[in-house]
Amino acid sequence: MSPNGGEFRSKRVSGAVSKVQQRDVFDAIADPTRRRLIQLLAEAEDLPLHELAAHFNMGRTGVSKHLGILKDAGLVKDRKAGRETRYRLDAAPLKEVQDWVAYYSNYWSANMMRLGQLLEEDEEA
Amino acid sequence: MSFSLNMDFQFETTVEKLWSALTDSGKLARWIADNDFKPVVGHRFQFHHQPNEYWDGIVNSEVLAVEEPHRLSFSWVVGEERHTVTLILDDLGNGKVHLRLEQTGLSNKAALSGARYGWEAWVGKLEQVLAEQDAAK
Repeated sequence: MSPNGGEFRSKRVSGAVSKVQQRDVFDAIADPTRRRLIQLLAEAEDLPLHELAAHFNMGRTGVSKHLGILKDAGLVKDRKAGRETRYRLDAAPLKEVQDWVAYYSNYWSANMMRLGQLLEEDEEA
Repeated sequence: MSFSLNMDFQFETTVEKLWSALTDSGKLARWIADNDFKPVVGHRFQFHHQPNEYWDGIVNSEVLAVEEPHRLSFSWVVGEERHTVTLILDDLGNGKVHLRLEQTGLSNKAALSGARYGWEAWVGKLEQVLAEQDAAK
């Protein structure tokens, strides 16, 4: 247990990245545009490129590039619907991020159990 | 922007005893790690955890606030991670004390695998998104 995530890092290095997921989820969410895209997609069933692009000060090509990176990380799925491509969020890879957050929470939970024991011993003394 | 960890605990004790466990160096050593803590604002100290292959075990800290017996705050620096830990005590009566732990500033610029990853408030929505996703399956 290390509160700096060191163990987690080692886990990530030793754990094989799944075959379908070609890009590290942490890289995928490192960019504010991509985080905003995730947020937009989290609020909708699925969205076409032009609706997503309307939220950014960049062309559709730029947004499309970011969607491609999210797709490589397994965070976004796309499907053809008539003439347009619609994008939807697959949040499952974000579990890895959640696991990292859980490190601190586990660290303090373990500490607090010891604190509880210490207080009980104080009571008996 | 960064995100925060908030945790709530309840202990069967008095607020004075809990405060002592949070501010006495010897007691802190028993539930966090060896340290040279003093309940003095501006005091710089370290927690020495068991080192491992990836971490020397040292947390560099500075006391930021001491409001006996209700609030204690100190910085928490490990590598590039600069956090603030705040402990808030609330006497519930009937021999029960509530303890809130807040750790702020997490992973704004975390160094993971040598890269810098930004984290924003939406991470807080993560559990919700994951829960909704699970519910949809």
